[in-house]
Amino acid sequence: MKNTAVTTARVLIIDDDRELGEMLKEYLQPEQFVVDACLSGEDGIDTLRGGNHDIVILDIMLPGMNGLEVLKQIRDMSDIPTIMLTAKGDDVDRIVGLELGADDYLAKPFNPRELLARLKATLRRAPTSTAVASRLAVGAIELDIKAQKVVAGSASIRLTGTEFELLRCLAEAPGEIISKDDLSNRALGRRHMPYDRSIDTHMSNVRRKLGDAGVSNPSIQSRRCVGYCLLVEE
Amino acid sequence: MRSLHLRIFLAFWLIIVLTIVTAASLGFFYAERARSSLQSFEVSDAMIEASEALRDRGRAGLVTWLESLPFVAESVIYIVDEQGRELLDRQLPGPVRMTLRRSMMQAAPRQQRPSRAREPDSLRPARPFAELVGPAGDVYTLIVLPPQTAVARWLSERGGLGLAIIALLVSAGVSYLLARAISKPISRFRESTAAIAAGDLDTRMASGIEKRSDEIGELAKDFNHMTHELQLAWQRQAELTSNVSHELRSPLARLKVALELARRETGELAELDRIDVETERLDEIIGQLLTFSKLDANPHEAGESVDLAELLAGVIDDVQFEHVHKAVDIDLRCDSDISINGYPLALRSAFENLLRNASSHGGGQIQVTVQAEGGHAIVEVQDQGGGVSEAELARLFEPFYRASTSGESQGAGLGLAIAARAIAIHDGLVDARNTDEGLCIEVRLPSQSNTPSQSNTEVTT
Repeated sequence: MKNTAVTTARVLIIDDDRELGEMLKEYLQPEQFVVDACLSGEDGIDTLRGGNHDIVILDIMLPGMNGLEVLKQIRDMSDIPTIMLTAKGDDVDRIVGLELGADDYLAKPFNPRELLARLKATLRRAPTSTAVASRLAVGAIELDIKAQKVVAGSASIRLTGTEFELLRCLAEAPGEIISKDDLSNRALGRRHMPYDRSIDTHMSNVRRKLGDAGVSNPSIQSRRCVGYCLLVEE
Repeated sequence: MRSLHLRIFLAFWLIIVLTIVTAASLGFFYAERARSSLQSFEVSDAMIEASEALRDRGRAGLVTWLESLPFVAESVIYIVDEQGRELLDRQLPGPVRMTLRRSMMQAAPRQQRPSRAREPDSLRPARPFAELVGPAGDVYTLIVLPPQTAVARWLSERGGLGLAIIALLVSAGVSYLLARAISKPISRFRESTAAIAAGDLDTRMASGIEKRSDEIGELAKDFNHMTHELQLAWQRQAELTSNVSHELRSPLARLKVALELARRETGELAELDRIDVETERLDEIIGQLLTFSKLDANPHEAGESVDLAELLAGVIDDVQFEHVHKAVDIDLRCDSDISINGYPLALRSAFENLLRNASSHGGGQIQVTVQAEGGHAIVEVQDQGGGVSEAELARLFEPFYRASTSGESQGAGLGLAIAARAIAIHDGLVDARNTDEGLCIEVRLPSQSNTPSQSNTEVTT
């Protein structure tokens, strides 16, 4: 039996290529997606403010308002799952995008099947879709799995879906080293690829956000070339 | 003697010294001639006048006569009494004073010496100067010197050697400055052309040279203008390549979506798979073009210390993964920890392309060795693909060049060109040779102890 919560998801595509938007609409519709397309960043942000979209596909190479700037404004507004489209080989855009809180990226031109897989994987991590009501306490923080919130004392720490999922992977087995392959499979829903530094970037975001909230226990440790582990001091 | 600076300097100096020597000898000859003519004529006249004055009015007459001499001849005639005093209390020129003292010392003891008898009367030590004998038997020495110019007098008093040394030093200094004014801008031009050839199009001649109003200044202005134009053309070309690549990717993205839509309508078709493969290939070529133009236009991501072994291990993993269907075995041998100061992404792309090339053309066992050798890291990639012909070896690193043995491969023939370019921006060298097994590509990079930044400072100083 299919999960009824994901039968239809509303996708907003922000890309200046009108034809590509139309074709993606055509491609995604049979896959239970309702697609809106905007041709500019400003337009996209306005549409996002009014509508109730579940996920955003954002082209970083937008004319006019830069895609990264759009991403920043989206993140100021909400934690809506965002997949960015980057130029192949432009590692700087990709890394900056992930640092700004994009959940995943896809190099353009992409295989639409790959896009579909990413959309589904990213949506699966979104707050409303998982209904496991549990809380996970590690050190000074507490993870609210259902609400996808991290609470440190009285303050709550804002994480994107992907960042939360990564922290959760580590928190479920404190002290254990989790490989990047595992992290990628579980948090990004895809195999860890060569040249891919997404996990590292997401992880440094989580680390920074924990640090900003004054949390030093637990701490995220990286093991070069292997993976990450969450260190908890009793 | 190779240096232009030294040659110009010596030429100038030689000319100046020759001029000085010629002028000095001419002056000396004229002075000599004047001296001899004076001595032959006027001296005897003066002696007669002086002896008449002494005879008539004694010492006082002599003084009056000396004083009455015309001003031009002021220093020509000196009269010294037996005590060595000049009658008008004038200072005698140095050499004259010494000769006089010597002759007086010879004359004086003779009268007191008891052995006087042994000296024959016919022998008298020559006195270089005329003597006047007064009515009372007092003896005066009359010294006549040829008229001298102020410079000659100064020279005879202070010594000509000092002047000669000063002349040498001054002329050397002037020659040095002159030579430097010509050769310095030339060596600056040389440094700048070398920097431009090395790819640094930001190089300009210093504004100090450019502001000169002479031909060298004009040359510097033209030079800077030329470099500016060159830089603009280069940038335009790189931008064009980059823009074209980006523009090509938009239709490619639509093509891929269209392909999936077609697949959904018609199901899997061999032709559609073929379109898919070709689209991927096109994408790969565009990617390579973009990488290549980026390396040319702006290789300067942030430089950092790169651990070569770690970088290579990562690249080998990736390439092995790409060729997982082809049973490629890459073996890495690294004899020590070698770090390179460089741009990680560019270095990565260099070795990635070398290994991809070895994997797709050579296949089988690929041996990668890293060695340190005198401030350099040497990386060798040895494949077992049978190599290429000698004629093709040299062209292997040219963009879009494909060796005849390469067969049907992906990419635009840019892989090795990208590698060579990326190695070049690290001041490195890449070279290919045939071995018994196949093709061996050797990369030579300055290792950390010998960083690229050091060689830069060498150019600027």
